[in-house]
Amino acid sequence: MDWEKEIQKLKVCDFEELPGPKSKEELEEMKMPFEDYCRRVFDVGNEFVKPEALKGVRWMSTTMYIFTPHSVANLAELGAEVIKIEMPRMGDPMRHTSPFNEAYLYPLHDTRPMTGTGLGFTNANSNEYFITLDYHVPEAKPVFYNLVKMSDGLTECYRHGTFDRWKQGYRHVMEINPRFIYVWGGGFGYGPKIFGGSYDILGQAHAGLASITGTHEDFGGHATKATNWVIDWYSGTQISVAIMAAMYWRGKTGLGTMIEFSQVQAATRCCGYAVPLYGRFGIVRQRWGNWDTQLCVHGIIMTGKSDFPDAQNPQDRFEARYVMVSAFQDADFQELCNIIKKPDLFSRYKTHKDRVGAPAQIEIYKAIEDWAADKTRSEVVRILKEAGLLAAPVMNDREVYECEHYRQRGTVRWNDDPLFGDILVQSAYSCGLLSKTPRRHRWLWRPVGADNVKIYHELLGYPMSKIQELYDKNII
Amino acid sequence: MCDIIWCKKDMGDGKVCDTVNYLDPYCFWNWEGKVACAHCGTVYYIHMIQGHMYAGPDEKPGEKPDILPLYADQPNNGYFNYLPGIEGRTRPYTCLPRHIYLGKADMVKFSIRGRPVRGWRPQPPSAGVAGSQGYFWDIEKLTPEVWEEYQEKIRKGEVKDW
Repeated sequence: MDWEKEIQKLKVCDFEELPGPKSKEELEEMKMPFEDYCRRVFDVGNEFVKPEALKGVRWMSTTMYIFTPHSVANLAELGAEVIKIEMPRMGDPMRHTSPFNEAYLYPLHDTRPMTGTGLGFTNANSNEYFITLDYHVPEAKPVFYNLVKMSDGLTECYRHGTFDRWKQGYRHVMEINPRFIYVWGGGFGYGPKIFGGSYDILGQAHAGLASITGTHEDFGGHATKATNWVIDWYSGTQISVAIMAAMYWRGKTGLGTMIEFSQVQAATRCCGYAVPLYGRFGIVRQRWGNWDTQLCVHGIIMTGKSDFPDAQNPQDRFEARYVMVSAFQDADFQELCNIIKKPDLFSRYKTHKDRVGAPAQIEIYKAIEDWAADKTRSEVVRILKEAGLLAAPVMNDREVYECEHYRQRGTVRWNDDPLFGDILVQSAYSCGLLSKTPRRHRWLWRPVGADNVKIYHELLGYPMSKIQELYDKNII
Repeated sequence: MCDIIWCKKDMGDGKVCDTVNYLDPYCFWNWEGKVACAHCGTVYYIHMIQGHMYAGPDEKPGEKPDILPLYADQPNNGYFNYLPGIEGRTRPYTCLPRHIYLGKADMVKFSIRGRPVRGWRPQPPSAGVAGSQGYFWDIEKLTPEVWEEYQEKIRKGEVKDW
């Protein structure tokens, strides 16, 4: 058989026959090595000269804390005009949730110059416009409905049926604006547990995620939640995905959608194979900590010495001694056994099936940690990498900040916030890069009600006297 | 609410006051003083620590109250209630916590790379109607002394890119 001819038949596109580059720049682009090509098309630091994918979308956000606000911040970073509506003079409770007092950015509101917003608010509310409206009082309803008429959608986070009772749920707003996309990001959603609100930790616990996170009790561990609010960030992003799908659907049908999003439900997806595993065998998945149930060696080990024994910060002084190691293929595992001077381990666990079982993993990881007991984190990483194995230090925030890889990609960067000055952010830049319509970070947030005039006067056309009147009545 | 005072004061005509005075956490979370019942005006001494009633409520006849409750109602009387801001009975709702909860943070003027951060307290009054704020705060005009300090840092080479 003439393979050349057969391959030619299969070809959908013959690159040789394509028309050549249309310009000198395009020619240069085609000749570029891939690394240079990526650097050119993503062009870190010049995001603002490119168009925004969601420009023209206007979204209302009556959200609090992280879960639902983050779903909307995703839109704002992609160019949507997001109007965050907060309770007059109080604001989102997340503003008051800060790690340390030093982190406060002032003022919270015009009437509260001595209160600030905590850095816990970061990333969940970037680029938004902040207005105030006590939308549940009757006098505020016309204002709220006017905003509904002019917006593409709304995200809210209240308990079961609250907005419906206040006559501003999907059943009401769809009568005003049939194209309206309505998101209810409830804790439990509808169902038997309708009265339950949610927190990230509750989501992790109720979905079964915390039960398979952390080390097994046999090794002194307990059910564990991830330190940061990962399920808030994760499920917020899942809402954004649903919003994108709803907008695509609306483009085809002209109709809005109600999106009901239960945080505890979203977290079940992270449990991976736990659910079908139970369905097939009746096995309830257990915690396996820093090791892996599918691959061995593929885990995080502890070395004996910190990389920074003289540092003042305990995260550096004591914690900089963990290493991620991966050597699960036979040849790699053999090499690892030679490095740690335990060739007998390889002779006993020659195949992956042999070493992935629990007793084998216990023996293997102990042998690696015994070998690493008199070494620093960087020594272990260097030795393993030089042998061609995959190894990486478990880094802390400072090391992420100083990491050249992140700096060159713009993942972590300094932003001159128009209000708050020099701010270190990841926010928009921590997500995937888009060559044509990149995400961007304009501002961290603004004080409560800072955009009242912009939205009520410039968008809705209310006279200033009316705005002042609503303000004096505590409605805005 | 962190707690309530359920006033059972005998009103003299065989009836009791039977009013629930709600103690809101914005004011009463850490509080020692005298509160008046919104319905009958009986003055009670309370001492509340971290939202828990540490002492009281004890009647203090003849003494003047320090503060009024925010809201009160009578559950056994068809939930007859006193909304916030009724003169002599309830306190107006200004959405402002007591001064001790308004924060006294240590201020940082410069980021770790030596460039000025804004957003410290106190801030100047708002630029506009209904709490609206401008889109750019000019550090040089807002706080000339910090700007000067920044220029000095630049001269000394203490301002870095990272």
